[in-house]
Amino acid sequence: MRRRMFVSAGGAAMLAGCARISNALNDNGTIHNILGAAQPLNHLIIGTHGRAKTYRESDIDSDFRVNGFDTPSDARYRDLVQGRFGAYRLVVDGAVERKQALSLAELRALQTYSEITRHDCVEGWSAIGKWSGVPLGTVLALAKPAANARYAIFHCFDRAPEGDPYYESLDLKEAAHPQTVLALALNDRPLDPDHGAPVRLRIPTQLGYKSAKWVYRIQVVDSFRAIHGGKGGYWEDNGYEWYAGI
Amino acid sequence: MDAAGAVPARTVETHDAEALVVRHSGTTRITHWVTVVAFVVLLMSGLQIFNAAPYLDASDKSNPQRRILEIGADTAIPGKSAGVVRIFGHSFGAGNVLGYTDDGAGGVAERAFPGWITLPGYQALADGRRWHLFFGWVLVVCGVAYFIAGFRRKDLQALILRRADLPKLLPMQLYYFRLRKDPPPYGRYNPLQKAAYTLVLFVFTPLIVITGLALSPGMDAIAGPLTTVFGGRQFARLWHFLLMVALIGFVCVHITLVASTGVVNNLRSMITGKYQLGKHEGDGP
Repeated sequence: MRRRMFVSAGGAAMLAGCARISNALNDNGTIHNILGAAQPLNHLIIGTHGRAKTYRESDIDSDFRVNGFDTPSDARYRDLVQGRFGAYRLVVDGAVERKQALSLAELRALQTYSEITRHDCVEGWSAIGKWSGVPLGTVLALAKPAANARYAIFHCFDRAPEGDPYYESLDLKEAAHPQTVLALALNDRPLDPDHGAPVRLRIPTQLGYKSAKWVYRIQVVDSFRAIHGGKGGYWEDNGYEWYAGI
Repeated sequence: MDAAGAVPARTVETHDAEALVVRHSGTTRITHWVTVVAFVVLLMSGLQIFNAAPYLDASDKSNPQRRILEIGADTAIPGKSAGVVRIFGHSFGAGNVLGYTDDGAGGVAERAFPGWITLPGYQALADGRRWHLFFGWVLVVCGVAYFIAGFRRKDLQALILRRADLPKLLPMQLYYFRLRKDPPPYGRYNPLQKAAYTLVLFVFTPLIVITGLALSPGMDAIAGPLTTVFGGRQFARLWHFLLMVALIGFVCVHITLVASTGVVNNLRSMITGKYQLGKHEGDGP
């Protein structure tokens, strides 16, 4: 009995040692930087080409999984919900020639896109929904990005529990992809607050964290280094890759 | 070995017992050990990634109705939480081994695979992906270098299972089980070795890379059929996992045989390249 306890205690210590070693390797800054070399390679080779697969109506998840941060509960967002988003304006500014402030009605008038696509979460799960809205390229074309413009930054109403705001970014090539859209409706119904109302980004060629919910401002920039954590998105600032095609 | 035709089946003890042959080229030896590191890192970081969604569905989108495997926890009774593994709907208690286990940071938590076998030990999907996507490249680059060098030197040809090897598979297995006194005659590798290496090098390893790529939405957009042929994204995730299990099985058998057929000789051949032939072995193809 004592020997068995000794063996199992020794085993447990050895196993705990395993985690300590892998944690130490993971926390090493040099190793962390070397591992990051895979991202530009994946971006270069996979990139944003082709078209995400489209599905039939019968494939749709009628109860599309809600994920991400909690639905914003601050006064600004609550008032918008109560006013049925009548006061909502999507601001497009930054390195653009014609700054925009588009109402929901104006966005609806631009709606041309509707496709049933799969949403792939970085965690590993997938869900299928019918997304309808305005191609992002249409909205950006209205604003005319300046010659030095390289990225579109999406500022959102939601915040992490610690208070950091959610934001995302795409380069203008990804933004111009015909399936990159500002979604206004899911499964033929206007987006509900839990799914990102009134406007969310939807990019089926990349992982779900790129598809930012509750977007209120698109800022066109030449670099995202000076914005929030400087990595181009909330999850990117927390260690995830900026290129989320893999 | 030029006199292959004259010496019946090359199994007779014609070679000098002390003679060492060069069995593994420099490329084979380097790529072997780099692959060992890549395999360990990919396995551990892969389990870290699995933990973020600890279930596998035989479908395109996530679908609990087609759930094949799920590793969860029963936390209904406070203080008596335990892991539960569900396979095809049947539940098995997993105690504190899986499901409710070592959190890699000195405690116990609800997580599928324990901290001692994930990279990093603590739960961190972003970091697991960083390791996995980098060492995926290491494996691919290593594999390509090995294949090019191996085919050029004709080393790989000796590993490929041929039609002539098929009737020798059963006798060889019987020999391993000690149900037969002598193995069937063979060259540099025995027929079971050839079967295992052919499967691992030409089927399992390429497929585990391809099923991994099939999980990528960017890849799915470029090469649609890739994800479809595996039954969809979630199904590809299931194949990716099953291939991991198959490769772990191979590694276990591989290590057992390395250890039981002259561990010093075997290890030396993979470090310096030099190998001492056994009494049944030849050095031809």
